[in-house]
Amino acid sequence: MTGLAVDDAAWGSAWRGRSPGDKLLLCAGLVGCALLLPAWPGSVLVGLAAVALALGPARVPARTFGRAVRWPLAFIAVGALTAVVAVGDGGVGWAPDAADRAGSLVGRAVAGSAAVLLLATTTPMSDLLPALRRLGVPAAVVEVAGVTYRLVFVLLESLGTIREAQAARMGWASPRRCYRSAGVLAAAVLTRSWDRARRMQDGLAGRGMETGLRVLPDALPSSRPFVALALVLPAGITALTLVAR
Amino acid sequence: MHIAEGFLPAGHALGWTLAAAPFVAHGARAVVKEVRENPESTLLLGAAGAFTFVLSAIKLPSVTGSSSHPTGTGPGAILFRPPVMALLGTVVLLFQALLLAHGGLTTLGANAFAFAVVGPWAGYGAYRLTRAAGAGLLPAVFAGVALADLATYLMTSLQLALAFPDAASGLTGALAKFLGVFALTQIPLAIGEGLLGVLLFRVLTVNARPELERLGILQPAAVPATTGGAA
Repeated sequence: MTGLAVDDAAWGSAWRGRSPGDKLLLCAGLVGCALLLPAWPGSVLVGLAAVALALGPARVPARTFGRAVRWPLAFIAVGALTAVVAVGDGGVGWAPDAADRAGSLVGRAVAGSAAVLLLATTTPMSDLLPALRRLGVPAAVVEVAGVTYRLVFVLLESLGTIREAQAARMGWASPRRCYRSAGVLAAAVLTRSWDRARRMQDGLAGRGMETGLRVLPDALPSSRPFVALALVLPAGITALTLVAR
Repeated sequence: MHIAEGFLPAGHALGWTLAAAPFVAHGARAVVKEVRENPESTLLLGAAGAFTFVLSAIKLPSVTGSSSHPTGTGPGAILFRPPVMALLGTVVLLFQALLLAHGGLTTLGANAFAFAVVGPWAGYGAYRLTRAAGAGLLPAVFAGVALADLATYLMTSLQLALAFPDAASGLTGALAKFLGVFALTQIPLAIGEGLLGVLLFRVLTVNARPELERLGILQPAAVPATTGGAA
C-alpha cells in the first residue's frame, strides 16, 4: 500500500505485467476517439470500453475507479454549466444549443477522463518513466521525475504523521490554528525533504553512485494480441460511430 | 482545479501544448545543466518536485466554510526560480493526472501553461518587485505566493473562455463567466495561500536559514569582526 488509491490499484492490477507501451497505445487511441469523434455515440462507446476494460480484464477495484473519477466530474460539471450559460443584454439565460453543447462537452470529458484513468489504474509511474526516456526526454529530467515519484510517498507519510500530532494538540481546532499548523507543517515537510535528499545523496556517494541513479527496469515485453486490441478497439469505435451517424 | 481530460477541443489542447513547450524545454535545459554541473542536485530537485506535490495536499480552511488546497507553485518559484518550476510544475501535473486523476494528458499543456508557467512567473515577478520596492521578505512572499495562485486561475479562466466563447456576448462574456466561477472565488483562497507562504517562510528563516542563504533568498549573516590581540 502506497497511500494513493490509484497507484495502489496500478500495482495490484492484472495488467501490471503488460508492456506500458502497449497500454499507452490503447489509451491514446481511446483518448483520440473521445476528442475527435462526435459525442454520440463515440464518447459513450469510449467511456463504456474504458470502464469495461478497467473493471473486467484489468481487475481494477470498482470503488477505486469510481472514487477517482469524482474529481474530474466536479470540474466537468462546473465547467460545462458555465460554458452553456449565455450572458447578454437581456441578462443570463441558456445558450440556444445548451443541451447539445453540454452533452457533447460532458461526454468527451468523461470518456477522455475514463480512458486516462484506465492507464493510471493499470500502470505504475515507475513503468511509465522509462517510456518517457524512450520518447526522447533527457535522462536527467527522467531521473528528477523518478526521485520526485519516490519521495512523494515518503513526504505524504511525514505529512500524515505530523498532521496527526498537530491534531492531537488541537492544532486544527480553529481557522487561525489551522493556518498556523499548515505553515509549520509545510515548513517541516520541506526541511525533511531537503534532509532526506541530502542523506540519500551521501548514501549513494558512499557507494560510488555519483553520476546517475541507474536501476534495472522490469522487463515487460509487448504482446501482439494486446497491440491488436489497442488498434482494433479504437478503429471499431470509429467505424461504429460513423455508421451510426 | 485543473482542466479535465477531454474538456478542451483538440486544437486548443494542441495550441496550449505548443505554447507551454518552450518554457518547459527551457526548464529542462536548466535542470540538465544543473545536474551535469552538480550531480547531487538530482535529489534536491526531486525533493522540490515532491514538496510541490505534497503542498497541494495540505487542506486550508476557506471563507465559505469548506476547505481548499494550495497550488504550491508560489513558494517553489521563490525558492527555485520560475524556469525550474516550469519543469517541476509540469512533472507535478503529470503525477496529479496519473496518481490523483486531477487534470489530464491532452490538457497537460494548457494546465502547465497556467500552473507551471504563468503562476510561477507572475508570483516571482510580484516577489521581486515587492522586494525591490524595499519591503521585507515576508510581505514579498505574501505578494508572490498570493499572486501565483490568482494568476494560475486567471489564466485557466482565459483558456476556458477562448475555448468556449459565449453564445451572446462572445469572448468578453465568456471571460466574465469563467472569471466569476474560477477566479473571483479564488481571491480569498489566494490570500489564504499567501498567508500560508508567510508562515512557511517565517519558520524556514529560523529552521533552515543556511538553505535560504544558499538559494539567495536571505543575505548571509555578517560575521562579527574579530578584535585584535587580547590584552
